[in-house]
Amino acid sequence: MQKNRWLGVDVNDLMESVHLDPSASGRVAIIGLGETDYGADYRAARLKGPEYVAPDAESLACRAFERALSDSGLQREDIDGLCASFPYGGSTPSSFAAASQLKPGHTIPSGNEPWCGHGGMAPFVAAVEAVATGKCDVLAVVHCLPSKAVGRQYGGHTYSGGGRDSYYYYHPWGWSSQAAHWAMMYSYYQAKFSVAESDLGAVALTLRENAMRNENATMRSPLSIDDYLSSRFIVRPIRLFDMCLVNDGAVCFILTSTGQATNLAHSPVILAGWGNATVAHSKMHSMVRERLSSQLGAAGAEALAMAGVTIADIDHFEGYDASSIHLINQLEGYGFVEAGAGLEFWKDGNTAKGGRIPTNTGGGMLSGAYLQGWNLVAEVVRQLRHEAGPRQVGGAEVSMFSYAETDSAHPIVFTRHT
Amino acid sequence: MRERRPNRVTGPGHDEFWTYCKAGELRLQRCDQCRHLSWPPGDVCESCNGTSLTWELLSGRGRVVSWCTFERKYYPELEVPWDTILVELDEGPLFISNPRGFTNESIEQDTPVVVEFLECEDDEGDFALPVFHKE
Repeated sequence: MQKNRWLGVDVNDLMESVHLDPSASGRVAIIGLGETDYGADYRAARLKGPEYVAPDAESLACRAFERALSDSGLQREDIDGLCASFPYGGSTPSSFAAASQLKPGHTIPSGNEPWCGHGGMAPFVAAVEAVATGKCDVLAVVHCLPSKAVGRQYGGHTYSGGGRDSYYYYHPWGWSSQAAHWAMMYSYYQAKFSVAESDLGAVALTLRENAMRNENATMRSPLSIDDYLSSRFIVRPIRLFDMCLVNDGAVCFILTSTGQATNLAHSPVILAGWGNATVAHSKMHSMVRERLSSQLGAAGAEALAMAGVTIADIDHFEGYDASSIHLINQLEGYGFVEAGAGLEFWKDGNTAKGGRIPTNTGGGMLSGAYLQGWNLVAEVVRQLRHEAGPRQVGGAEVSMFSYAETDSAHPIVFTRHT
Repeated sequence: MRERRPNRVTGPGHDEFWTYCKAGELRLQRCDQCRHLSWPPGDVCESCNGTSLTWELLSGRGRVVSWCTFERKYYPELEVPWDTILVELDEGPLFISNPRGFTNESIEQDTPVVVEFLECEDDEGDFALPVFHKE
């Protein structure tokens, strides 16, 4: 038994994991990709001209699907499986199927089946499971988040209730919002590792440079360290540019079994391994003092083992940058760099284009778009297809994507089909 | 003068916590089976799901682990900048609270702090809020 050094309990008691069937490794391929126009839609929403109509969930999802279908080169009739996810409402799988003229034999109702782990990637994992177990041949999975259009708020009394370890609880002390989670983490990190205020800015700057190489990114104007340091704090020490965007969008992937993924326009991208670990209790401890290192370490090891690779084999990383500091947590937690050295590693250019482990190459969620990580998977697909244009990671064969909330880690390893 | 605060969570478990606070006592639920101290309140032990829990009186002492200051206004009741701290209670749990008699501008990790109860009110009425001053 390995004891947690703060709490004195077995480290495994602090985690809940959902272990997925390792036999699915290598059996499912992404063969189609579609995204909406993040940057153009965001600018239109900001401008709000007289003709402007906020996009509804279903039309966003349909736009992403049509592009994914076209990208795959398949016919509409080939789609016999559907997983349509609308976390903020606005449509349903059956309504979406009718709007897209689809007649799927297998529909995943919500994508929130308990076995697939919680969080925004649940529909994706449910879709992979459906293909891996032969419930359908060709499946479209679409995830739609009109976050800006629905006026999604991320703090204060906009939420109520929730589980014991939810952050909703601390209202009377005035503590809420996602930003506060990252701020508590970063204050601790700063004090423990003697980090300068400007150090975290390096993350936002690199991701902005990446976004400038991505025509579909939301934020593409140059960002300097002076811009960063003069930007407003949301929850000190976390600034505006340390937080992900709020925008409207949808992502769609077409999946099929690897065996059927032949004679296609684009190189298939293979799902090789995944892991999952969630904080079971004592969330504040795991989140602030350990920055999820136990969860990230366990889930990362599981994903790498399933894929049959080591961390040194990863050519490209896409991590859940709800905040800049959380991206550092993931780089450290998965073992790309040791704990406390992540910001130095970043400042030295290791995560930039041409560095040891190019990270969030399309601009991530800080400067690209916020689609609960689905846009990061889209970037993985482009990189492993070798279609990432000016931001292509040379010779990319293995990518790691990481979904990571304030209490969970869910890495997925993808490989280029050979 | 009572401070107006955002609404508490009330209901089973929560109500007991606030009743003890009103009596000037910081009490959390200790599991009779595995001895784990849970926070926030719940109807079972967060560690072993044991159902026999005892509200244990704590020392009210702890140390500052981390902190953050709200510059964006999330609650109409509270003015920004708004300081919050994360305190490791001597008995183990990490407790989100507010500094009293000091601010986050002059804060350091491991600063010893002691609980006090602030007279407050929300939509449910009067209550005593546990906050922390320097030892």
